[in-house]
Amino acid sequence: MTTDDVVLRRHRRTPLTWVRGGGLSALVFALPLLLIFGVFSWLPIVRAVVMSFQKTNLITTSWVGLQNFQNVFADPLLPVATRNTLWFALLALVFGYPIPLVAAVLMREVRRAKGLYSALAYLPVVVPPVVAVLLWKFFYDPRPEGVFNTILGWVGIPPQPWLQSMTMAMPSLVLEATWAAAGGTVIIYLAALTAVPPELYDAAEVDGAGVRRKVWHVLVPQLRGVLFITLILQVIGTAQVFLEPYLFTGGGPANATVTILLLIYRYAFGNSLGGNYGEATALSLLLAVFLAVMSLVYFRLTRRWSTS
Amino acid sequence: MTTTSPLGPASPPTVLDAAPSEAPATRDAVTRVRRKARSDDGDDRSAVSVSDWRRPSVKWSLGTSHWLLLVLLVVWCVGPLLLLAKFAVTPTQDILRTPMAIFPNGIAWSNLSEAWNDVQVSKYFVNTIVLAAGAWFSQILVATTGGYLLSVLRPRYARALQAAVLATLFVPAVVLLVPLYLTVLDTPVFHTSLVNSFWGVWLPAGASAFNVVLVQRFFDNLPREVFEAARVDGAGPYRLFWSIVLPMSKPILGVVSIFAVIASWKDFLWPLLVLRNPDLQPLSVRLPSIEATTDKGVLMAALAISTLIPIVLFLVFQRMFLRGAGLGGAVKG
Amino acid sequence: MRSSRTTALAMAGVLSLGLLAACSTDDEPSGEESDGKVTITVAGLQPGAETEAVDALNARVAEFEEANPDIDVEPEEYNWLASTFSAQLAGGTLPNVFEIPLTDAKTLIENGQLADISAEFDSLSFADDFNENLLESGTGSDGKVYAIPAKSIYGVALHYNRNLFEQAGLDPDQPPTTWDEVREYAKTIHDATGVAGYATMALDNAGGWQLAAAANSRGGVIQEQDGDEYVATLDDPAVKDHLQWLHDLRFTDNSILPRTDLGWGEINEAFAGGQLAMYTSGSDVYNALVENNGMTEDWGYGLTAIPSSNGGGALTGGTLAAVTQESTDAQKDAAVKWIDFWYLSKMLDQDQAVADAQLRNENGQAVGTPVLPIFSEEQYATSLEWVKDYVNVPLDNMKGYTDVMFTQPSIGEISASTQDTYALLFPIVQAVLTDQNADIDALLETANTQGQALLDQ
Repeated sequence: MTTDDVVLRRHRRTPLTWVRGGGLSALVFALPLLLIFGVFSWLPIVRAVVMSFQKTNLITTSWVGLQNFQNVFADPLLPVATRNTLWFALLALVFGYPIPLVAAVLMREVRRAKGLYSALAYLPVVVPPVVAVLLWKFFYDPRPEGVFNTILGWVGIPPQPWLQSMTMAMPSLVLEATWAAAGGTVIIYLAALTAVPPELYDAAEVDGAGVRRKVWHVLVPQLRGVLFITLILQVIGTAQVFLEPYLFTGGGPANATVTILLLIYRYAFGNSLGGNYGEATALSLLLAVFLAVMSLVYFRLTRRWSTS
Repeated sequence: MTTTSPLGPASPPTVLDAAPSEAPATRDAVTRVRRKARSDDGDDRSAVSVSDWRRPSVKWSLGTSHWLLLVLLVVWCVGPLLLLAKFAVTPTQDILRTPMAIFPNGIAWSNLSEAWNDVQVSKYFVNTIVLAAGAWFSQILVATTGGYLLSVLRPRYARALQAAVLATLFVPAVVLLVPLYLTVLDTPVFHTSLVNSFWGVWLPAGASAFNVVLVQRFFDNLPREVFEAARVDGAGPYRLFWSIVLPMSKPILGVVSIFAVIASWKDFLWPLLVLRNPDLQPLSVRLPSIEATTDKGVLMAALAISTLIPIVLFLVFQRMFLRGAGLGGAVKG
Repeated sequence: MRSSRTTALAMAGVLSLGLLAACSTDDEPSGEESDGKVTITVAGLQPGAETEAVDALNARVAEFEEANPDIDVEPEEYNWLASTFSAQLAGGTLPNVFEIPLTDAKTLIENGQLADISAEFDSLSFADDFNENLLESGTGSDGKVYAIPAKSIYGVALHYNRNLFEQAGLDPDQPPTTWDEVREYAKTIHDATGVAGYATMALDNAGGWQLAAAANSRGGVIQEQDGDEYVATLDDPAVKDHLQWLHDLRFTDNSILPRTDLGWGEINEAFAGGQLAMYTSGSDVYNALVENNGMTEDWGYGLTAIPSSNGGGALTGGTLAAVTQESTDAQKDAAVKWIDFWYLSKMLDQDQAVADAQLRNENGQAVGTPVLPIFSEEQYATSLEWVKDYVNVPLDNMKGYTDVMFTQPSIGEISASTQDTYALLFPIVQAVLTDQNADIDALLETANTQGQALLDQ
């Protein structure tokens, strides 16, 4: 290190040169991010960890060690909620995964009025979710005069209980959720299909491949990445499902649609005599660990696919 | 696909490919060339080629399935909305007794006026728009200034800051539900409550790591020569930001805007917790709370009105919506 | 360059300013204005109330403000729900005057979440006239008053649709008096009209509350007190009987509305919409049916006592009015004046009673709905006499209840972990309504263990 360097360095450290060198303006640009993330992201994250070891009624707070976690694990509703959440995720995959794919593959081949197809498919996505739930709640009226039961009656199927049955409630929720979300999935697939390099089709044609083989051996392999990513996104999304069970059934009948997030909500806000914030954050941390693993997998994969 | 709300799904659609892979100028040129080549071809290339289409079996089966698909799309996607439109002007007793009959006892236009005036859908609609506008602004502000700092200015602490922002991507929104609520109840330093104030929704919306990363990656790919040239011309960091970087970033700002607005109008749980005063609530919070006490016909009219404007917006800005949605999964296959 | 720099600075500063602005507006001393006027917010109507109900409330507010020119009253929508109340409490968003169930008061007082209003309460002329036991539930262990009995005491009763009775060939003046009869009537109505003969609340805590009411009417209790110890008795035979009864209506007779998503408000809406013939709820529900669901005097509403057997009776509960902890002294003073005016004076003061009744009548709101009095029975009779010209509820159709309301045994709500206990019960109500093979004994046993654990905490 030469003397010149040392002088320069010392020189740099004075406030004036810091301002001249853009330090102040950099700070100005950092300000919104620091403030907003500091108050509404970093601080609450730290607080979540701290609170999970505390018991508080907002007036007095005490440390309780692992008590909150123990209480959460002892709650008989936890396994129920976990099972329900997984069931929701599985059903969402069964309903919302293959059909949009088939629709997208078909739509890709449409020659005329392409825009009409995508617009139709996407229309339910722009309906405000609360409106969609309240509308479907009415469709699911269990009386024979209910909308869906009337339609079933036309084809001679007896009235169904829909949301009023422990076995049908969850599939009914998922059906509505799929209606509301499938359009988005179709558009994502469509975008991925458009990105398939045309040379691959040409090559396949040179080999004498027919339509079916082109779809199976060119299209589907090319979609593997996007398929896996939508899968993980869906799992992460459904793990936090709240709106549907909260508005459709309130978790019923007989806890058949209680999800993890609904359980967290109930811990925190469901008791009229004050929330159990410690247990609520303890459970959300547990869920977070699971989701963080999923997100990591997701990031790994997107990185791999985007670089390859 | 939301990230703006504290309670949106944990991880946003992929970040990595939303940013342009080439400098925008060259990319535009490339797409232009490609598009030209394709238009010479007649249409862009898909699995079924023009010669495939000439074969009767393909033509017949694909043609049929396209018609079938169209019918299904109309029934499945538009059907419920048409029913909603019908219910909105059907007398309550008809809705309850014969929902599928076509106006057996006439049309009840009064449902609409009752919804607009008595249920005050108009007021809640304005609230919904104000909430979306504020959330949009706070997200754009944080994302552009933050992205500019991390990508262009790059002070010494940029790396640490970036890591701290990125880390929040891995924390699902659900973890924040309770602590964020308690933070909003009693904000640090100021010790005031943001409950029953639009700020309680606007400000947390800005803390979206997804937006920051998205914008930062876009800035990373802007041509550095332009910045250097501007600096040589005497532009300071503010002018560089305002007159060079922002105008070059319109595409990414559009994307962030669409995500922001969509997320805000879909948000339910957070405004439910923060906005207890009915005068401040958006439609998403208000409609469920009046569901039990409102006449079915009027409720349906209120639902229909709440849906109408998003649908009109969608039909007008269709292209932007669909591009935004496609980007959500625009990952190289 | 100067201008763009300024813009950028301004933009970056907006959020910090925003925080400040948000704070400064919220920081204004809530309520007190410079001219010495006090503003209080008060619990008003349910969300979605009919316009006429809003008009009636506003007119009463105007009268109050005229009599108390230094007080400004702002009614807010209010709907007590176990699932939203605690967020409102924690969020400090409750109106200065709000309502709570009788059973929640003690815990809220212990937690220091209600304002001490002893001084203001003592200044009320009729402070000594309250029913002792009732007043006690709003008093803390320090002997101070934190909540005042308001509105009325409700007894759970059976509400029915007279038109459906007639259509099914039943005499609407002879409503059922036993649960077996309710079952027969429900089946007859369903068979004749296709409309559900019976329905029960099953959503959230309201479902547990109504199961408890039914158990009480069958002579059972869901909690016993032994000195300071509380014992959960959720597996009481009366609870089992009623669950089995519900199950039979659902799966043997198919005469019950097969819905588990009905809470207090939802079942009112369904009843007013003609979707069910009979249900149980508080005796004063008619007020809400008029206020929120537009029911009129000639609708065909009928009210009778809840069927009872084995020495059972009507579950009774009440509402207390309380004042938020954050209220200033001036606000507390104004708040108690409002509580006096809005809830109590119409039961005690002839002028106020007439003024209130006249106004409600003019706006099509119910006057004269039978309730159990929070003062003496005589006072109740007197106050009814004052307003008899304005009574607009179908009293003749309520005789089944009014004839016995003072003589039937009344059973108070359980006092320990009330809402949590209800929360354990409602999923069981939902189970018997949806699962043909529901094992009632096993479900109750599990719930009882959990209920006891709550009490032992």
